Amino acid sequence: MLKVENLTIAYGKTEVVHHVSFDVKKGSVVTIAGANGAGKSTILNTIVGLHRSKEGRILYKGEDITRTAPDKLVSKGIRLVPEGRQIFAEHTVEENMLLGAYVEKDAKKIRDRMDQMYDRFPRIKERRRQIAGTLSGGEQQMLAIARALMTAPDLLILDEPSLGLAPIIVKDVFKLLTEIKQTGVTILLVEQMVDNALSISDYAYVLETGKIVFSGTRDEVKNSDDIVKAYLGNV
Amino acid sequence: MQQLIFGLANGSIYALMALAIGMVSSTTGIVNFAHASVVMMGAMVSWWMMVICGLSYLPALFVAIAVSIVLNIVMYETCVKKLGDLQNNVGWIITLFGASIILDNIARMMFGTEPQAFPYLFGGKMVTVFGANIMLHELMMITIAVVIGVVYQTIIKRTRFGRAVRAVAFRPSTSELMGIKSEKIILSCFAMAGAVAAVGGALIAPITFASYTMTYSIGLKGFAAAVLGGFGNTKGAFIGGFILGLIEAFICIFVPAGIKDSISFVIMIIVIIFLPEGIMSAKFFNKNLSAAEKV
Ligand SMILES: Nc1ncnc2c1ncn2[C@@H]1O[C@H](COP(=O)(O)OP(=O)(O)O)[C@@H](O)[C@H]1O
Ligand SMILES: [Mg+2]
Repeated sequence: MLKVENLTIAYGKTEVVHHVSFDVKKGSVVTIAGANGAGKSTILNTIVGLHRSKEGRILYKGEDITRTAPDKLVSKGIRLVPEGRQIFAEHTVEENMLLGAYVEKDAKKIRDRMDQMYDRFPRIKERRRQIAGTLSGGEQQMLAIARALMTAPDLLILDEPSLGLAPIIVKDVFKLLTEIKQTGVTILLVEQMVDNALSISDYAYVLETGKIVFSGTRDEVKNSDDIVKAYLGNV
Repeated sequence: MQQLIFGLANGSIYALMALAIGMVSSTTGIVNFAHASVVMMGAMVSWWMMVICGLSYLPALFVAIAVSIVLNIVMYETCVKKLGDLQNNVGWIITLFGASIILDNIARMMFGTEPQAFPYLFGGKMVTVFGANIMLHELMMITIAVVIGVVYQTIIKRTRFGRAVRAVAFRPSTSELMGIKSEKIILSCFAMAGAVAAVGGALIAPITFASYTMTYSIGLKGFAAAVLGGFGNTKGAFIGGFILGLIEAFICIFVPAGIKDSISFVIMIIVIIFLPEGIMSAKFFNKNLSAAEKV
C-alpha cells in the first residue's frame, strides 16, 4: 500500500531524517515508535505532502507520490490525523466534519458519509452544533479521526493519537482503530510509547534520531529487551 | 440629519476598507499597507473610464473592480508570496509600503496631480427624508456598503468557501490536510479585497474628488476603522467605520476643521492603548460571545 524508500528530510540545512525506508502492507497496521524529536511527525508530514523530502521516494499503490500536493493525496485516499488533533476549534463540530469532506463535491455523498459517521460516533452527533473547541480532549481526538474518515480513506495515518489523553480514553481510541482496521482501512501510526499501539499492530519500526534502528513483527518487538525497556511501559 | 447621513455615508466607506483589510489579515496575518492605494486606484480608474472613455457609472465601476482585483493579485504574488513564512518574515511591511508608493506614483503620472470632479450616482439627485435634504448618493453609499457587509458575512458563515476561509485563517497547514488549497483561498481573499476597494473608492470619490492623494486622505481612515473595530471582524469593521464617520461629521462643531483629520488618529491611538483588540473586545460587547463569533 505504502512504500517509503531511502527518505531523507531536512529543515533548511539541518537533516533530521536519514535514509529511512519502510513498508506498510495493504490491510495491516504498522506502528513507528520513536522518542520525542526522533522525526516521526516530519516523516508523516512529508508523506502527506506538507513538507518536501530532500531525497528518496514515496510510493502509494505502486504510484510515485513523492511530490504530490496534499489535496491530491486526500483524493487518492491518504489521510493524516495530525499530532495534537488540530481540530478547527472555532468551527462547529459539524463544520469540522464538512471540512473533512472538503474535496468531495457531491452533497449527497457527503450527507451519507456524515450519517454513517454520526452512527459510529454518537457523541459527536450529539455535539454537532457545538463549537469544536468546547469538546473534551478525547472527543476532539474522535472528531479528528471522524473528520479524516469523511473521505473514506484507504490509508489512515495517525500522529500520536494517544497524546495527552487519559489512559481509558486511549483504550477507546485504540478500540476504534481496531474497528477501522476491520473495515479494510490500512493504518500507519506513530507513538512514543507503543503499549496500546503494539496490541493492534502487525508490524513495527523503531526510529531513533532520524534512523530506523529496528523493525519486526509484534512478537519480535516483544522479544527484544531493549525495545521493551525503551518504548513499552507495562506489557 | 444631514450631518448624520453624511457621517454614516463616509463611515460606510471606511467600514468597507476595514472589511477588506480584515479579509486579507484574517487569512494571512498581514496588514495590507497598500490597500489605501488600491482604493485610490479604484476611484481613479473609474473616473478615467467615465471621463476619458465615456462609460457610464456602472461599467466604469466594473472595469475599476477588475483592475483592482488584478492589482491585488499581482501584489500578493510579488510582495507577499515570495517572502515565504510570513510569521517569521515581516518583509511584507516594506514590500507593501513600497507597492503603495509605486501605485501612488503611477496614478500621479497617469491621471495628473489635479483633483478631479467625480460624478454622483443618480446625477446628484436629492431626496427629502424627515424634512432634511439628503443626497441619494449618500444613501446608496450606506446601502451598498451594508449589502456588501451582509453578503460577505453570509458567505463566510454559511458556505463551503467561507468555511475554508475560516479554516485557513485558523490553521493553514491543517486546512491543507483537509484538501483545501490554502494558497487559493488566500488569493481569493486578496481578490475580494481588491473588488471591495474599488467599490469604496468609486463611491467616496464624488465627495472627496478623485486624486492620487486619496490614498492618504481616505485610505488611512480605513486602517483607523480597522483598528477601532478589530482586524478581521466584519461587525467590528462596520462599527469602527460608522463611529469614525460620525465623529468626523460632528467633530467640526467642537474643533477647527483644519485638525479634523487628526482627530480620527487621536481616537485610534486612544483605542489602541486601551483596547488593543478593537472596541469589539470591550466587555460590553462580549457578554457571552465565543471566539468563533469573530470573522
Ligand atoms: N518546522 C521545523 N523547523 C525546524 N526543525 C524542525 C521543525 N519541525 C521539527 N523540527 C526538528 O526536527 C526533528 C524531528 O522533529 P519531529 O518530526 O517533530 O519529531 P517527533 O514527531 O518524532 O517528535 C526535531 O529535532 C525537531 O526539532
Ligand atoms: Mg511529533
